[in-house]
Amino acid sequence: MTSVMLSDPVVGELVSIVGRDRLFTDPAARFNRARVPAPFPVHRWAEHIPDAVVLPVSAQEVSEVVKLANRHRIPVVPRAGGTGLTDGAVPLKHGIVIDIKLMNKVFELDLEDRTVTVGPGINMLKLNEELRKHDVIYPDDPASYPCSLVGGRIGTSGWSLIGGRYGHTRDLVISFEMVLPTGEIVRVGDGGGKKVRKSSSGYQLKHLFMGHQGTLGIVTEATLELVPRPEAEFAAFFSYEDYESAWRSTGTLARSGLATLAGVVLFDEWKLRYLRRDDEAYIPQPDSVRAVVAVAMYGVADEVRPAAKRIMRIGKDTGGSYLGDEISQGDWASRHDRYATPLHGRLPDRQVAPMSWHCEDASINWSQLPKVREKWHALVSDLIARHPIFDDWGMFAYTNGAYKPWGDYLTEIDVGIWEQELDDESWEAWVNCKRDIAAVALEHGGSMSACHGSCRAGEVDLVPDELGGGFEIMKKIKKALDPNNIMNPGKYLLDRAYEDAGETP
Amino acid sequence: MTQHETQDDRRSAADNGLQAEFVERWRDAAYNCYSSGHKFCREVCPVMQVTRDEAHTPTAFHANIVAMEMGHLSVEDVARDYVHCTQCGACELRCPNTLFTGDFYRFRTRTVEVVRAMRALAVDSGVEQEGWKRWVELTDRSRSEPVMGDIEVSQDHVADWARGLDIPIGGETLLFCDCEGAFFRTSTPRAAARILKVAGVEFGLMQEQWCCGGPAAEMGYVEKARSFAEHNIADWRSVGAKRIIVFDPHDYITFTEDYPRYFGDDFDFEIVLMVELVAELVRDGKLELSRPVEKTVTYHDACRLNKRKGIHEAPREILRAIPGLTFKDVDHVTQWSYCSGAGAGLGIERPDLTAEISRRRIERAAELEVDALVSACVWSERPLSEQGGKRAEPIEVLDLLELVAQSAGLDDEKVGS
Repeated sequence: MTSVMLSDPVVGELVSIVGRDRLFTDPAARFNRARVPAPFPVHRWAEHIPDAVVLPVSAQEVSEVVKLANRHRIPVVPRAGGTGLTDGAVPLKHGIVIDIKLMNKVFELDLEDRTVTVGPGINMLKLNEELRKHDVIYPDDPASYPCSLVGGRIGTSGWSLIGGRYGHTRDLVISFEMVLPTGEIVRVGDGGGKKVRKSSSGYQLKHLFMGHQGTLGIVTEATLELVPRPEAEFAAFFSYEDYESAWRSTGTLARSGLATLAGVVLFDEWKLRYLRRDDEAYIPQPDSVRAVVAVAMYGVADEVRPAAKRIMRIGKDTGGSYLGDEISQGDWASRHDRYATPLHGRLPDRQVAPMSWHCEDASINWSQLPKVREKWHALVSDLIARHPIFDDWGMFAYTNGAYKPWGDYLTEIDVGIWEQELDDESWEAWVNCKRDIAAVALEHGGSMSACHGSCRAGEVDLVPDELGGGFEIMKKIKKALDPNNIMNPGKYLLDRAYEDAGETP
Repeated sequence: MTQHETQDDRRSAADNGLQAEFVERWRDAAYNCYSSGHKFCREVCPVMQVTRDEAHTPTAFHANIVAMEMGHLSVEDVARDYVHCTQCGACELRCPNTLFTGDFYRFRTRTVEVVRAMRALAVDSGVEQEGWKRWVELTDRSRSEPVMGDIEVSQDHVADWARGLDIPIGGETLLFCDCEGAFFRTSTPRAAARILKVAGVEFGLMQEQWCCGGPAAEMGYVEKARSFAEHNIADWRSVGAKRIIVFDPHDYITFTEDYPRYFGDDFDFEIVLMVELVAELVRDGKLELSRPVEKTVTYHDACRLNKRKGIHEAPREILRAIPGLTFKDVDHVTQWSYCSGAGAGLGIERPDLTAEISRRRIERAAELEVDALVSACVWSERPLSEQGGKRAEPIEVLDLLELVAQSAGLDDEKVGS
């Protein structure tokens, strides 16, 4: 174990920065900040324990802690909600976890220029509870909407279920303040003041610091986009007798050109089978229902109502049967909660086993979806045949473009894992399977992650392949900004930036 | 600093058999949370909303058990974290496992029970919280909870609240008066008694009422709690009681959940919640609310009614029946994330958190531009009143029964606080 032991003088310095009340070194505080919902080898939990946890309340405090860590060469791992589906917030090399949950204030609400400036520890649902009084919302809507935090959304460059209408995190965060790995506090955006959406000044640094998984610094404040609170919501669920019809229908719906279209979701046959295990929404559907397509629209009523008619017509013309208002409205309203539950886990003999939901995501072009689907299910079937603690929970494909919901799709295969039963052999098999899943995405011209990030064991090995020469630039940037490799070390193969020169800190 | 290498030592130190038994009992339920990882419970948790500390989340309360099973943590490591819970039940309701598949699998995430069980394990393992320990000792000595502040609590004064109301001892129906009501907010039990009388409900008091034992059970002192229960039940039986009316939601939980667990089928008393009874009396025309109350109010959903028992309609029905009242309602689901912070002993160990949770609740009410916040939980009313009174534009905190008594024309002299 490559543990960095915090010497007592370091603890003393941390106390002088954040105070005794916001520094934690007790085992429970550290064990509970060692993991995220990404696949986790529970049997190796103890390998990822941070040495200390701090809960700062200001950019200044974050900066002081980072400077201290940089001086002493101690790893620093930023942690927001800890709800990510890749390992961004897992302290691979121990060190200090900087947990930003207390930085959750709303600093400024500007209804004229339509921005809200917040601390990175605020949750979107909580923020929207405040914003709705002013008839505006911040429309970043991931599956983790009730619990993930703005800082983590920036760290992973998140994807939103309604991004086809409103954009994703990178489009909705206008600018933000960052503490760099050497402790400087900078503001990055498109250029200009913090409320400017489009500029041509200088390098576009906003994207550089979006999705870096905590390897380039820590967000301490963000200025976000506000949109009018939608006066109308429309959701329609259609069923199909086969995947191919549903897939074609998905493409037609997504290409409809309707400006209020927020997203289209394709459920495959495996997903339906998984939901049918006990889900009241799907049990009553006849066996002929093999695939489902969900569509959602948001906007002003004058636009949504006529567009909804068009959607209903396209759905029917492409072979879909409307599943009714109850499923359409109910399932869409419960979209954050419904689709992954550990209680649905099944062993090959159909016994119920409590399983973790693991979602392997990729960006895949529409034309490639059927082939990727076949290959992915085959890989998971092969894994299950060798290790019955895994379970295939089916696939979703969601429209992935911002504002223009056609072209490529967030494509996910959900795998149940009975983590209590994991051992080194089955964990290794899983890591290999994930790498194979990622390889299929690349073979078909895709990206191995649309929203979670690609720094988990397995797929991370293919990052240099996916990014081509881009990975060499990543290493150079990493080394330039973080000369001592203190910021979330071990992620994204970026340790190689230092190994190449034979100077691993 | 102690580091990773001490885990094995910790495992052997903690393994006194009790912990192993506890882990065996809760491991699978804990894993159902651990494996889900949704963490949707967090932002509705009244404590987590203030401390923002992941160790105070329902997720951590379950994950700790997984870590204990693996020998990473022991009850000594985690006991203090479990102080940070009001047992309001919001997390259980917000859990996707409960919401979407619980019915099918007959499963419900039971974080409140987990917290209670861990606190009991801590007490049984000798890991006690000083404030709770003292509180339970004092309760044991004076048979009623010490309630907070400089108030003399003793059996000699347990029925002082009823002075002048001419309530008999005994009978088929008893009114059980909560400790906070008996010694601090006496206006609430007085209102309750006068309402019952005017509506023609016959009732009496216990010969010797002791604390219900609920708070001790919530803090982990299960045996002590049970001894209180045994006394109270014996008292009920000795006067031939069959029906117990309670106005405090905490008592309601204790009598409908703890007592049946202690006594099984032998527990054959009907427990009646005062707000439900009042709603029924109004509905049936037995209680006339005719005097207008010219106030603008909102209602605070008491956690133990709304989140633990699903009772949110009766209090609203009563408020809508009061003439003159402008009632600005906030729906009961939004209120899953509201709390006064007073429950489950939090105010004893962390009064700072109770005060802050109450302050935030009062600010929610203030946004609605109301004169008063109406609660149906006597325990919530003290911290809420304190915060309401601190505002530049104070917000009054009323008990629903006090408001009902007012509207029924049942004026009472100011008693108690």
